Amino acid sequence: MTFQVLLILFAVFALVRTYRQYKAETISRYWLFLWFVLWVIVIGTALWPQTTDLIAQTVGVGRGADLLLYIAVVVLAYLEYRSMMRQERLHRELTALVRKVAIDRAHKPKND
Amino acid sequence: MHVVAIIPAYNEEKRIIASAQDALRFVDEIVVVDDCSHDNTHVHAQSTGAHVLHHIVNRGQGAALQTGMDYALKELNADIIVHFDADGQMMADDIPKLIAPLVSGQADIALGTRFLEKRAQNMPWSRLLTLKLATWFTVLFSGISVTDTHNGFRALSRKAAEDLTITLNRMAHASQILDLIKVKGLRFIEVPVTIRYTDETLEKGQSSLGSFVILKDLFMDRFFSDL
Repeated sequence: MTFQVLLILFAVFALVRTYRQYKAETISRYWLFLWFVLWVIVIGTALWPQTTDLIAQTVGVGRGADLLLYIAVVVLAYLEYRSMMRQERLHRELTALVRKVAIDRAHKPKND
Repeated sequence: MHVVAIIPAYNEEKRIIASAQDALRFVDEIVVVDDCSHDNTHVHAQSTGAHVLHHIVNRGQGAALQTGMDYALKELNADIIVHFDADGQMMADDIPKLIAPLVSGQADIALGTRFLEKRAQNMPWSRLLTLKLATWFTVLFSGISVTDTHNGFRALSRKAAEDLTITLNRMAHASQILDLIKVKGLRFIEVPVTIRYTDETLEKGQSSLGSFVILKDLFMDRFFSDL
């Protein structure tokens, strides 16, 4: 019971934060909508946990909590992959930039 | 034949003058790439009559070599590029032997090796073991068999230098070069060179543990090669 209350409080807190970010124009209406849907689902599952069991059983997983955990692991792994890709690309772009500056500002020997 | 030596240098103010002057006896021009050293490497390098390039952010030895190669190809019109080192382990007297097969057209790239003719002086056994493992790994990974996979002493023809673009910033570039030799179908030859191990050079050089970083970089590269 305590965990459900905490979860709902956190979801409400997150909703308020997201709405403020939207008001401050740091996120678009599209992302406001996505976050809104996510946190409403969180509140829904906190209030009626047994509904996730129904969904879980239709896709062949025993319990709703397990289904959520599996989805979370897959999503996080994918996000980590994307962030590694981005980091790798940034490294290469930084090297290219550093190289260009080095070549443009080359110190040539005087006797040339 | 216009021969240019590239010396990547990181915190080498004590040794850069000696190694640049040593190399200048055998090549036409020197390019020192100062990889954002914290000391006065670039000031010392300028006093030797070398072209001095400065990385404003530290990018690693592989990146420094590629910067030097870009410069030597585009600005200095190099026919032959020699990869040399600032740390005093390599002996410039080996340069003529290294570039001879390129001058004669026998090969596109000459790779220095410590293990033909047993030319490694005072090599610690842990280093020997690591290098042997690296040799086997390279056969499996790149399908190329050489006796010394991580010897930084090499010479490239202009064609080879244009074909090989080093994208791995740190020490994995040595493996990447071997990989690219195979992929691009370049003709290579191994040339015995002397590598001196002294307390001073070992202190500065790569630790054998660095091989794990190399493995990580290589696998990351395979994974992200479509970038």
